[in-house]
Amino acid sequence: MIQLKNIDKYYDAKFQRTFVLKGINLEIEQSEFVSIMGPSGAGKSTLLNIIGFLDEPNEGEYLFLGKPANKLKEKQKVQYHRSHIGFIFQAFHLIEEMTVYENIETPLVYRGVKSKERKAMVAEMLDKFNIVAKKDLFPSQLSGGQQQLVGIARAIVGSPKLLLADEPTGNLHSEQGEMIMKLLKKLNDDGMTIVQVTHSEQNAQYGNRIVRLMDGYINEENTN
Amino acid sequence: MNIKVVIRNLFKHPFLNLVKILGLSLALTGIIFISLFLKNELTYDRLNPKTYQIYRLTLTDPDFLGGKHFARIVNAGYLPEIKERLPEVEQYVRLMPVRGGLLKYKERFYNVNQGFECDSTFFEVFEVELISGNKKTVLENPASMVISKSYAETIFGESNPVGEVLTLPAGQYYGEAQNFTVAGIMKDFPSNSHFHPDFITTPVQHEFQYGWSWTYLLLSNGANPENVTREISDFLTERAQVEPEEFETKVYLQKLTDIHLYSNKLREIEANGNIRNIYVLAIAAFILLVIAISNYANLNLGMSGFNAKYLFINKILGSNKVAVVNFFLIEGLLILLATLFLTTLISIPTNTLIFKFYGLKLAQKNLAFILFVVTVFSILSLILGMLPVLKSILTAKKINTSVNFGRGRISRGLIVFQYAFSIALIISVIVISRQTSHALKNGLGARENNIVIFESVHASLQQKFEIFKEELLKYNSIQHVSAMMEPPGGEANDMFPFEMEGFDTEQNEDQFNRIGVFPCDYSFADLFNLQFLSGNNFTASNIDNEGSGEYIINEAAMKRLNYHDPDEIIGKTFKLNFMMSETTGIEIPRGKIIGVVKDFHLSSIKKKVEPLVLFKRDKLWLLNFAVAFQPGMRTAALTDIETVWTSMFPEYPLQYEDVNVMYQKVYKAELLQARLLSVFTIIALFICSMGLFGLALIITQNRVKEIGIRKVNGARVSEILAILNKDFLKWVILAFLIACPAGYFAMDKWLENFAYKTGLSWWIFILAGVIALGIALLTVSLQSWKAATRNPVEALRYE
Repeated sequence: MIQLKNIDKYYDAKFQRTFVLKGINLEIEQSEFVSIMGPSGAGKSTLLNIIGFLDEPNEGEYLFLGKPANKLKEKQKVQYHRSHIGFIFQAFHLIEEMTVYENIETPLVYRGVKSKERKAMVAEMLDKFNIVAKKDLFPSQLSGGQQQLVGIARAIVGSPKLLLADEPTGNLHSEQGEMIMKLLKKLNDDGMTIVQVTHSEQNAQYGNRIVRLMDGYINEENTN
Repeated sequence: MNIKVVIRNLFKHPFLNLVKILGLSLALTGIIFISLFLKNELTYDRLNPKTYQIYRLTLTDPDFLGGKHFARIVNAGYLPEIKERLPEVEQYVRLMPVRGGLLKYKERFYNVNQGFECDSTFFEVFEVELISGNKKTVLENPASMVISKSYAETIFGESNPVGEVLTLPAGQYYGEAQNFTVAGIMKDFPSNSHFHPDFITTPVQHEFQYGWSWTYLLLSNGANPENVTREISDFLTERAQVEPEEFETKVYLQKLTDIHLYSNKLREIEANGNIRNIYVLAIAAFILLVIAISNYANLNLGMSGFNAKYLFINKILGSNKVAVVNFFLIEGLLILLATLFLTTLISIPTNTLIFKFYGLKLAQKNLAFILFVVTVFSILSLILGMLPVLKSILTAKKINTSVNFGRGRISRGLIVFQYAFSIALIISVIVISRQTSHALKNGLGARENNIVIFESVHASLQQKFEIFKEELLKYNSIQHVSAMMEPPGGEANDMFPFEMEGFDTEQNEDQFNRIGVFPCDYSFADLFNLQFLSGNNFTASNIDNEGSGEYIINEAAMKRLNYHDPDEIIGKTFKLNFMMSETTGIEIPRGKIIGVVKDFHLSSIKKKVEPLVLFKRDKLWLLNFAVAFQPGMRTAALTDIETVWTSMFPEYPLQYEDVNVMYQKVYKAELLQARLLSVFTIIALFICSMGLFGLALIITQNRVKEIGIRKVNGARVSEILAILNKDFLKWVILAFLIACPAGYFAMDKWLENFAYKTGLSWWIFILAGVIALGIALLTVSLQSWKAATRNPVEALRYE
C-alpha cells in the first residue's frame, strides 16, 4: 500500500543542511498496524505527515497505492484526503466552532455525500462510540477521552483505507488511553491499515510491527 | 453549515470583530455624507438645460471704486443694444436687489430675505417651474410679481395669491410706496442654486432707470465667450467714445456653473462656496476610505492566525481552496452586512442633524447615488480587506499546525500610513481652528460679546434713530447705541473724492483721488471699542457746521495719505465730496481729521484692511443699528430693547443678531470646514486606535510565551512594558516624520486664503505628534499591561 524509497527531508540553514529524515525505506502493507517510535526530534511526525500528504520529501520516491505521490496534483491530494486517509491527533484538533455532530459530518460534506446518507452515517458512528447523547455539545464541553473518540469517529466515518494517528493517547490519562488503543486495535482487526506515532512501548504493542527512528534513520524494525 | 460556523467564529472574538464593524461603519457614514455634500456643491445651478450657455457679465475699471471687482454692474442701460448688436447674445436678464427688506400686505409687514426687480426676460434665461402663470406672459406687464411657493405660504397661507397686491413701503431708495401685483407662483429655488429669491418682479416703470444689477447673458449654442467678451469690450469702447488704448474698463464673462465655487467678488448675491473646501473634503473622504479599509485588512491579517487551526483541519478532512475562499468570503459578507446595518443606524440621525443645523436635505432624492457609494465601498472593502489574508493563506506552501504570524511587515506599513494621515489631520484641525477663532475674535466688536445688530433696518425707522437711541439709553442695561452704513462682516466699498491740506492729488496720479468712506453715528468708536492711536473721538452730535466737520481715519488711511506718525496728521483740514449727479449732491462739512484709530476688521480677515474715513451723518446712510449692553445684563437688555421697539415701531418685526453670529456667517465655509475636519479626525483617530488596539491584542497574545519566559527569568513589569511598547512607538514616530512636512505644506497653502493669519508654529506639530503618540500609547498599554502583569505560570502552561 505504502512504499517509501530513500526518502530525505531536510531544512537548509545558512551554511548547513539539517536532515530530519535520511534515506528512509519503508513498506507498509494493507491491514497492517504499524507503530513508529523514537525519541523527540527523531522525525516521527514528519514521516507521518509525508505519508499523509501534508508534507513533501525533498528526495526519494513515495508510492501510494502504487502511484508516485510526488507527481500528484493538489486536486488529487485533496481527493485522497477526502476518501482514503483519516487523521487523529494528540491534541484532538476538533473544530471548536462545531458541535460533535457537525465535526463528524464535515468530511462527508467535503466528499459530497448526500444529506440523508450523511445523517445515517454520522448516526452510526455516534452509536458505535456511544456518544449519541453528546452530539449537540461543543468540543470544549467534553473530556479528553471523549474528544478523542469524536476525533476517531470523524477520521473513520468515511471508511478510509488508511488511518494515521499522531500520538493519539498523548494527552489522555492511562485508562482513557487504553480504551482508545483497544478501539484502534479493533478497527485494525476489521481490516483498516493504521500507522501510529507513539512514545509508549505499551501502546506500540497493540500494533503488529514497530519501526524505530533515531535522528532521521530507521534504527530497527521488529514485528510482534 | 458554513455560515453557522463563520458566525460562531465571529462571536469567538466579539471585540475584535466589533472593532472591524465599527471602523467600517463610521468611515462609510462619513464617506456617504461627504459625497452627498460634494455632489450638492458640485451641481450648483445645473438644473437648467441651457445652464452652460448662461454667463454673468462683470466689469472692472481702475477709475471706478478703486478697480474693485463687483459681482454686479452699474447702470447697464446699454444691454438691449448689446443684444441687438451681437448675434451671439440671445437674451439677457438683470437682477436688481429690492432694498428695504420689507413688503406690506393688508397692513402687515413681511420680511424679504431676497427679492429682485428683473427684466421681463427672466424665465427665458433661467429655467424655473411655475406653479401658477405662464412663463411667456407672466412678466409681460410692469409691476407684475412672481413669488416663490414658500413665500406665498408665509403671506397668504392657503388662499390664492394671484391678483393680490403687495406694497413696497416708502423708503430711502424709493421715493414713494410702490404696488406690485402677484401674477404667478414659482417653485422655490433648489438649495444648490446661487440665489433664492422670495420674489421677482418687473419694475413699476417699464425700464430700469439706474442702479446696480447682477447681469446674466444667455449666449447662443456654441458661441465662444471669449469672442463675446471682446465684442462687448469693443462695444463699450465705442460707446465711451475714447481711443481703445485709453479705455480701461475690463469685461468679464463668468460661467453660471462657476459662480458657486470659483467666484469671490464683492457683493455676491449670497455667500459662495469655495473649490478649496471641495478639495479638502474630497481628500478627507479619500483618507477616511484608505484608513478604514487598510485598518480592516490589517485586522483581518492579524486575526487570520486564529483560523489557522480551522483551516488546517479542514484541509486534512479534504477541503479545497474554493472552500477556504468561501469561508473568508462569507465572513467578509457577514461583517459587511453588520456594517451596513450599523451605518443605517448612524446615518438616519446624522441626516436629521445636518438638516437641523445646515438646512441641507442631503439624502433627499439621492437614494441611487447613496446606493452607488455604498456598493463601491462594499466591493472595495470586501476585496481589499480580504485579499491580503487570502493571498497569505493560499500562497503558503505548507500548512501550519502551529499558530504563527510572520507577516508583521504589511501591518506595520499600514499602521504607519494610518497614523501619518491621522497626525496630518490633527495638524490641519489645530491650524484651521486657530485661524477661524483668530478670525472670529478679530471681527469688529466680536471680542466684547455684548453687541447686537439691527441689520438693514427700514428707511422710515432710520429717520427715527435719534429717538430710538435716546429711549434706549434711559435703561441702565444699555451701554451704547450707534448706527452705521455697513454691519459687522459687511463690505465698505464706497469711495468718495476728498481734499486734504497738503495732499497734492496731481502728484498722486496713479492713486486716483478717492478714499474709502464709512458714515456712522458719533458713538461708533465707543461702542466698538476702537483704539485711538492719536486724537479724540467725535463730539456728541451728529450734526456739524461747515468748517467744523470731524473725520476719524484708520491706520491704513493714514498711510494712504502719506503720513507715518498719527500725531502729525491730527488737525489737518479735510473734506469729502459726494456728488450723485451734476445737480444732486450731499454736502459733507469741511473739517479736520480729529483722530486716528488702529485698523479694525469690518470685513473678513481674508482681505487686507482698506483705507477708511469715518464721518458722522444724521438720518442718512445709517442703515444698521448697533446696541451694546452692560456686561452680564443681556437678558434685561433684550427685554428693554423689545419694550422700546414695540412701543416705537409696533408694525415692524423686531429682528436683531449678535455680532458674533454675524461673523460666524462671514466665515461659514471655514467654520463648516473646521467642524467637518474635526469630526473626520476624531473618526480617523478612533479607527486607527481601534485598529492598533486590535493589533496590540493579537501581537501580545502571540508573545504571551515570550513574556512568560522573560518574567520567569527576572524581567520587571516595566521592562516588559518597554519591550512591548517600543515597537509601536517606533511606528508612530515614523508616522510623525512623514506627516509633518505634508501637514506643513497643506496648511501653508490653506492659510494663503487669509491676509491676516496665525503662524504655523512648531508647537502645533509637536502637539499633534504628542496627541497621536499619547492615544497610541494608551491603547497599546492597555494590552501590554495586561500581558505584562500576567502570571507567567499561566502563560507557559498553555504549551
